Amino acid sequence: MKNPTKWAVPLVFVAAAALLPLAGKALPAIAGDYPLSLARSVFTYMALAVSWDMLLRSGQVSFGIAGFYGIGVYAAALSVLRAGFSPLASILFAGIIAGFIAFLLGFVILRLRAIYFSITTLALGEIFRIILHNGGEFTGGAEGVIIPRIISNNSAVLYWLSLAGVLIAIGMSAWFERSKIRFALTAIRNNELAAKSSGIGIFKYMMIAFVATSFIQGIIGGIQLQGYGVASPSDSFSGDYTLLPLAMALLGGIHSTSGPIIGAILLGVASEFLKLKIPYGHLIVYGFIIVLVILLMPQGLYGLWRNKARARRVSRIDSGQASADAAARAGASKEQPRA
Amino acid sequence: MPNLVTKSLTKRFGGLVAVNDVSFSLSRGEILGVIGPNGAGKTTFINLVSGIYLPTSGTISFNGRDITKTPAHLRAGMGIARTFQLIHPLENLDVLENVMLGFLFSKRMSQKEARRESEALCESLALGGLHREVSQISMLETKKMEIAHALGNMPEVLFLDEVMAGLNSDEMKEMIALVKQLAKDRNLAVGVVEHVMGVIRELTDRVIVLEAGELIAEGPYAEVSKNPRVVEAYLGGAA
Repeated sequence: MKNPTKWAVPLVFVAAAALLPLAGKALPAIAGDYPLSLARSVFTYMALAVSWDMLLRSGQVSFGIAGFYGIGVYAAALSVLRAGFSPLASILFAGIIAGFIAFLLGFVILRLRAIYFSITTLALGEIFRIILHNGGEFTGGAEGVIIPRIISNNSAVLYWLSLAGVLIAIGMSAWFERSKIRFALTAIRNNELAAKSSGIGIFKYMMIAFVATSFIQGIIGGIQLQGYGVASPSDSFSGDYTLLPLAMALLGGIHSTSGPIIGAILLGVASEFLKLKIPYGHLIVYGFIIVLVILLMPQGLYGLWRNKARARRVSRIDSGQASADAAARAGASKEQPRA
Repeated sequence: MPNLVTKSLTKRFGGLVAVNDVSFSLSRGEILGVIGPNGAGKTTFINLVSGIYLPTSGTISFNGRDITKTPAHLRAGMGIARTFQLIHPLENLDVLENVMLGFLFSKRMSQKEARRESEALCESLALGGLHREVSQISMLETKKMEIAHALGNMPEVLFLDEVMAGLNSDEMKEMIALVKQLAKDRNLAVGVVEHVMGVIRELTDRVIVLEAGELIAEGPYAEVSKNPRVVEAYLGGAA
């Protein structure tokens, strides 16, 4: 079904994000580095939120975002330090390593479902962290590693890099929504037996979703390294990278590209201000939001809006369809030969 | 030559033998009834043939090819389709998109082709309002959608698991006519699991009777319904 409003949110977001640095030049109120650095933080969480939602469309809740993100940060840092990769190559390498690890682990964990899947992904992140923590000199141990030179200290360059990261996530999410993958994942989420009976290879599509989302999380880790220059077990695998994207996607609306975008903007900006007022208070607010959204608004903000729009559209289409059917029936009964 | 053949098909769940040594065959153009009391193993039998379960022993072949170990999604692609006793309309996909699945995945069509094929198929089943949510459609429409969903695999063999359940008598009549028409037009081999004996009498050319997992009788409905073992299975043996 053609749905012109479906891509309104991503398109408006991308246009606004592209204009933000220009707007900074024109308007003193949003000039300087601070708005750009706030936007970068929003983009990072937004990309993670979109990627989390992409896997959720198969029905499985991952708590492994921080794990694959952290893998990305470390893969990028070590590739720069130990192999002399360029910044861009290190970012790509981060995505490939995260995706490849997901591919190998997928053979085992994609057989798990529901709470068993969720807990295992949570444990994976922790295992990655412990391995890197104990990696000795190669990984820098508990202190981690610092890369000598990032791509640029210019906040505009870092801004465009972060925006590119979020565009990769949105682009892959759009591919998921527009291709057969949407049908496969939606069917798998609803009922795996029915999906199998329609010829859907469940493992194959779960693997595509798991590898693609882990790739995105790795890329975002690689990009984030260029902003901070540090990979460390405590920061790179922080629970924030799992919890905040999850809260954002829930608030904005799951099973869509638009929902996590809306949620990331709202919560990302809100938490920035809360951080200033009450340090760590934003986490309490996040907890409340997750609980309230699940209780009162399980479809999220975008879900509410989408349901209203869909109800309007269906009533319009069906009234057209009903009259067409009636006309067809009238025609058929006239042509019916009398027995 | 029959299209679908099972030899000594057996499925055990722990100590329970759900299907025991069942050999049968099904050919295109034929409508076969699968009957038996509750718990006789009818649905398990369909699950074995469609690949949801793998048998404990015995073989299944399709058009001369051994498919005993072929996964369900590949059997769907080869031309074995089924509906489910507990209906499974897929939420978040509209009616048309539900029907498209088989065309998209079993037949590997593009979305455009699958959409066109599905529209034509729904029209032939007199199923309209294709852009409605599946939660908004009637029971008869849901059943038709389930059949259309199965036909999306463009099957040679189609199993209908209690497709009449929940329909009133007028709707059943419509459904019986529809299944007969489909079997004829598409030259399908149809297996029908059904509790309503009137439907079995009207619809089927041949019947197999399962009891406690075993095939106890086979033949035309009129003959089988007089078989003392079948009567006993349904009414219970004399004490």
